[in-house]
Amino acid sequence: MLWTDKYRPKRFEDVAGNVKQKKIIESWVEEWKNNNPQPPLLLVGPAGTGKTTIAHIIADEFSEYIELNASDKRSYDLLMSTIGESANTYSLFGNNRKLIIMDEVDGIHGTNDRGGTKALNKIIKESKQPIVMMANDLYSNKLTTIKKNVQVIKMDKIKSPSINKYLRDVVLKNEGIDVDKEVLMKLSKRSSGDLRSAINTLQALVENGGELTEEALESTSQKDNTSTIFDTVTRVLKSTNPEHVKRSMFENTEDPTLVMEYIAENIPREYEKNKEIKKAYEMISQADLYFGRTRSSQYYGYWKYASDFMGVGVSSSKKETYRKYSKIISPMSFSLMGRTRGKRAMRDAIALKMEEKMHVSLQLAYTIFPYFEIMFENDETAWEISDFLELEDDEIKFFRKKKIPKGVITKMEKIKAEMREEEKEEWRNKIKDGIFREIPPQDSENEEENVNFDSDIVEESSPHNATVVDIFDDFSDEELDEIASELSTDGKSKTKLRNDSKSKKEKDEEKLDKGQTTLFSF
Amino acid sequence: MIISDIMLGPWVEKYRPQTLDDVVGQTHIVSRLKQYVEEGSMPNLMFTGPAGVGKTTSALALVKAILGEYWRQNFLELNASDARGIETVRTNIKNFCRLKPVGAPFRIIFLDEVDNMTKDAQHALRREMEMYTKTASFILSCNYSSKIIDPIQSRCAIFRFTPIKGEEIANRLKYIAEAEGCQYEDEAINTIVNFAEGDMRKSVNMLQSAASTGSITEDHVFEVVSKAKPQEIKKMVNAALMGDFMKSRDILREVMILQGTSGEDMVNQIYQDVSGRVMQGKMDGEVYMNLIGAIAETDFRIREGANPRIQLEALLAKFL
Repeated sequence: MLWTDKYRPKRFEDVAGNVKQKKIIESWVEEWKNNNPQPPLLLVGPAGTGKTTIAHIIADEFSEYIELNASDKRSYDLLMSTIGESANTYSLFGNNRKLIIMDEVDGIHGTNDRGGTKALNKIIKESKQPIVMMANDLYSNKLTTIKKNVQVIKMDKIKSPSINKYLRDVVLKNEGIDVDKEVLMKLSKRSSGDLRSAINTLQALVENGGELTEEALESTSQKDNTSTIFDTVTRVLKSTNPEHVKRSMFENTEDPTLVMEYIAENIPREYEKNKEIKKAYEMISQADLYFGRTRSSQYYGYWKYASDFMGVGVSSSKKETYRKYSKIISPMSFSLMGRTRGKRAMRDAIALKMEEKMHVSLQLAYTIFPYFEIMFENDETAWEISDFLELEDDEIKFFRKKKIPKGVITKMEKIKAEMREEEKEEWRNKIKDGIFREIPPQDSENEEENVNFDSDIVEESSPHNATVVDIFDDFSDEELDEIASELSTDGKSKTKLRNDSKSKKEKDEEKLDKGQTTLFSF
Repeated sequence: MIISDIMLGPWVEKYRPQTLDDVVGQTHIVSRLKQYVEEGSMPNLMFTGPAGVGKTTSALALVKAILGEYWRQNFLELNASDARGIETVRTNIKNFCRLKPVGAPFRIIFLDEVDNMTKDAQHALRREMEMYTKTASFILSCNYSSKIIDPIQSRCAIFRFTPIKGEEIANRLKYIAEAEGCQYEDEAINTIVNFAEGDMRKSVNMLQSAASTGSITEDHVFEVVSKAKPQEIKKMVNAALMGDFMKSRDILREVMILQGTSGEDMVNQIYQDVSGRVMQGKMDGEVYMNLIGAIAETDFRIREGANPRIQLEALLAKFL
């Protein structure tokens, strides 16, 4: 059961906040009871300030009441036949009055409620019955005529200490739940005067043994203005009133693409008919398209269209409001990103290695993954590719569950070593044939910019071709491999020469080198 | 270059053509590039065309030919698309261009996937191109030249690479198989060619995948095709067609986020899946065309710069 219903106050004194307003309302009720008719009450104020609650408490004071809601069709006929009649007839039981409750009177509008405002005004003027009306927006032009004939009660936002007190002393005490006081205070503050949303958030977090932690609170909402994003999404999904939806979109201060993600996430959670989901998602698609066009054209005038598509567009995709409580979920794709961070990091690390060695972008690398998965089923191919890409053991596991068998590794390493040996032999021959050449000296005009390159090094370290071979022979096979692989690295040229074979002067000069240039090239 | 490293690497690298003469297909382009080599100079170039048709291979071969033996010192390869931001790209270009060419007439910067750069980044790139005209030439590579701003296009000689002809791919695959000492069935090669749609990289990967399962037979190729095609796509489309939007959407997100599949690839795979259904007589023509209309529109919107995941979610909703 919804806690907002379960803990809805039954008496005026239990209603949080709005002390003065409650007194006026109580005396309004008293006057009616004393057979002293009063003008209709209009309770105006933001969501979650107690309007509905108060209307219900008033209703309990009268023996009968009827209620109309914003989402009901309120055409002229409808209003006349239901309200018009009862407004003029006394209840069968003596002096008992029949209370009329009308919610969201500022929601009466345009074509659907043709003549609705007119009928309402007529009823207000002629009614001999108590009427309580509720509205969100005092300044809506729907209310201009109505306001003249009613008693307006402005409901204030509930202050956070009152919200905190209510959550603690009524809700949590009854549920027998203990929570962190500071987090509860934070929750109260963040509900920005909306007790309903505070209770809903609390229920969502702590019901069924959940713990109220800062993290949990963060996850249901974003920073301080979260109530606005949740309010906006709720409004879009629940309301059928384009004016309210537009206003709510307008008041929202979050990044509109984030709001779009929130709305999209919750569409299939709220709307139940596939037809509606289809229609609503097409609106999201259009909104997104205009965000894209904004980005590419840098023309922010497109934003307003995006806002209408995801607001009024999604809102009007439903036939009628679903009468259910829906918890607004933050976009699952965000949490999926969070959960999979580790795995994606490894995926990207592998793709980066592929990018470097296979001249592919990350995007393209991902498309090769499925083929690698197949190739990696073969032990030898798995070894070859892992060796080529220099994959770590856990990266190999990304493509195959089993480790590459030791025997295969030994065998392949031996094959590779043999190939290396042959290749090295070829190298030695090539070098003896004088393929190994020095880099030609730099143009003199380069010197000012090219600080990293000192052409002296070249002349000093390889002045004679004869010594090149000697130097080369000084190296162990391992070092030879290293040099060879350094030289063969695509696009990058780094050369390490053995320091002990050089003079101190050369060593100093090498520091200037910083790996920017190469001594040998072929 | 250490041959033994490449010799044991993936075939796509092992058999990447090293010279312009070896480049498969694109004969007109190659002959023009050879002229640049003869002249010893080249303008800024832009290579456009789908994946796996030889843009990078041609660029590398050209660079080696035109810069000669010191090509490595005078060549910078960068990928513009990765999330490193334009600043990194610019810093790299700046550092590289500050140094005058060493042992070569000029330096070359190869920038891949330029179409994935934002317009702002492209304008920044344009300025870099202006700044270093004396010392460096650019080769830009992209899938769609329409996504490149005009000022860049007008500064480049544009080469449009087309999908490689089936016959040329088949010959290359046979050459590779023979060089590897692998037996192959002609039907297997033909099947690969059919599935690869003119994409040499994909063809070679399929060939090696088939070979790694034992031998290059038609059956093995089919196995590779079905394994490499993620099963999730089928499940996802099924769920949507059955009316279970939430399930379908969950699968979509998994595939895109976990496997990093791009929006363009997703659209393509959904298209393949749906068109497979009609080919197997499992779908009515009218239903099919409704879906195709939705897929085509999604494709278009993604290329218009919309958020691919959101667009695909909306596409799945249209399948309901």
